[in-house]
Amino acid sequence: MANNGFSPKIVGFLCRWCSYQGADLAGTSRIKYPPNLVPIKVMCSGRVDPSFVMKAFEMGADAVCVFG
Amino acid sequence: MAKPKVAFYWCASCGGCEEAIVDLAEGVLKVVEAVDIVFWPVALDIKRKDVEAMPDGSIAVTFINGAIRTSEQEEMVHMLRKKSGLVVAFGSCSHIGGIPALANLTDKASIFKKAYSTTVTTVNPEMTYPQESFKVKEGTLTLPKFYDHVYALDEVIDVDYYLPGCTVPTDLILNAVTAILEGKLPPKGTVLSPNKSLCETCPRNDSKPEKLKITKIYRPWEIMIDPEKCFLEQGLICIGPATRTGCNERCISANMPCRGCMGPTDQVTDQGAKFLSAFASLLDVTDEKEIQKIMEQVADPAGTFYRFSLSHSILKGKVK
Ligand code: SF4
Ligand code: SF4
Repeated sequence: MANNGFSPKIVGFLCRWCSYQGADLAGTSRIKYPPNLVPIKVMCSGRVDPSFVMKAFEMGADAVCVFG
Repeated sequence: MAKPKVAFYWCASCGGCEEAIVDLAEGVLKVVEAVDIVFWPVALDIKRKDVEAMPDGSIAVTFINGAIRTSEQEEMVHMLRKKSGLVVAFGSCSHIGGIPALANLTDKASIFKKAYSTTVTTVNPEMTYPQESFKVKEGTLTLPKFYDHVYALDEVIDVDYYLPGCTVPTDLILNAVTAILEGKLPPKGTVLSPNKSLCETCPRNDSKPEKLKITKIYRPWEIMIDPEKCFLEQGLICIGPATRTGCNERCISANMPCRGCMGPTDQVTDQGAKFLSAFASLLDVTDEKEIQKIMEQVADPAGTFYRFSLSHSILKGKVK
């Protein structure tokens, strides 16, 4: 990523039924996307607790996304 | 057989935890009969040097209340750790930071400025601030270092057990003392109070409707509080869902919502975030702007959701 060398670490919580399937589809369709996103599959985006988001930041994430 | 030696110590605390021992009333006699109290600054004239002279590990159990915010407190708890077989964190401040840990939302410089200069009742034209050392003609006077952060006890020393609450309920103290005397202790690190949420044991739980729907938040003084209904149903913030039981619902019986002093259950790391999560699901709106409008009614969210647990939280406090 041409961003002054800064490459953000992004943690994404992905719903198993929609966004995670989307990410899978992107994979099987051989669409390329940057490796910065660490996807975490959850059974529903409603399962994401505020403490998960805080924990991700605590562990060094630059951004946290919840997809659902 | 010699009686087991017991010590009590206080750090950044209000004195309420000492009161809890006194509140044991005649129960205290049973304790005094069974143990030998070797150190208890509030009640006995035993000095630091006397404790220093005790052999390592000679105190069976030391109960430490209060958070850690000065160098003296840090030194004392390190010493007591060495002298004691067991260390029990006693009360919310020692357990999870408590009220003193709310200072982590600000910093030492701002606290000193407020306390020694800007409060309306303070007159300090020469800007005299506490110093760690000060020369007078008789010699040098010293004061302990005041830290920029307030710590729970287990952030400073190894802790064996926790007695939660502001202050610790008397039955929990007696149960703990009995368990120690009889050698029937649970695994190290246990919080010595049932691992259930307060809502589970709350007498108002039955009155709670299937789905709580909050559209407006009140502070206790703004409405006449119904003495039977769940506080959340009345739009009052009650931290019960994210709080451990064991306090005999004492605030609830006094018609006041729970503030969370018993800390979270074992499964929860961050009490404030857990409450926020539970609370957000109760708001009866879906529009983002409406949600924001309701949340803005929460006066001091960090101080409310983390009233007692800031030291043990992921949030921690102000970035310094
Ligand atoms: S939210 Fe408070 S009042 Fe309601 S059931 Fe839980 S502890 Fe009781
Ligand atoms: S009701 Fe809540 S704030 Fe009151 S003593 Fe119990 S846990 Fe603490």
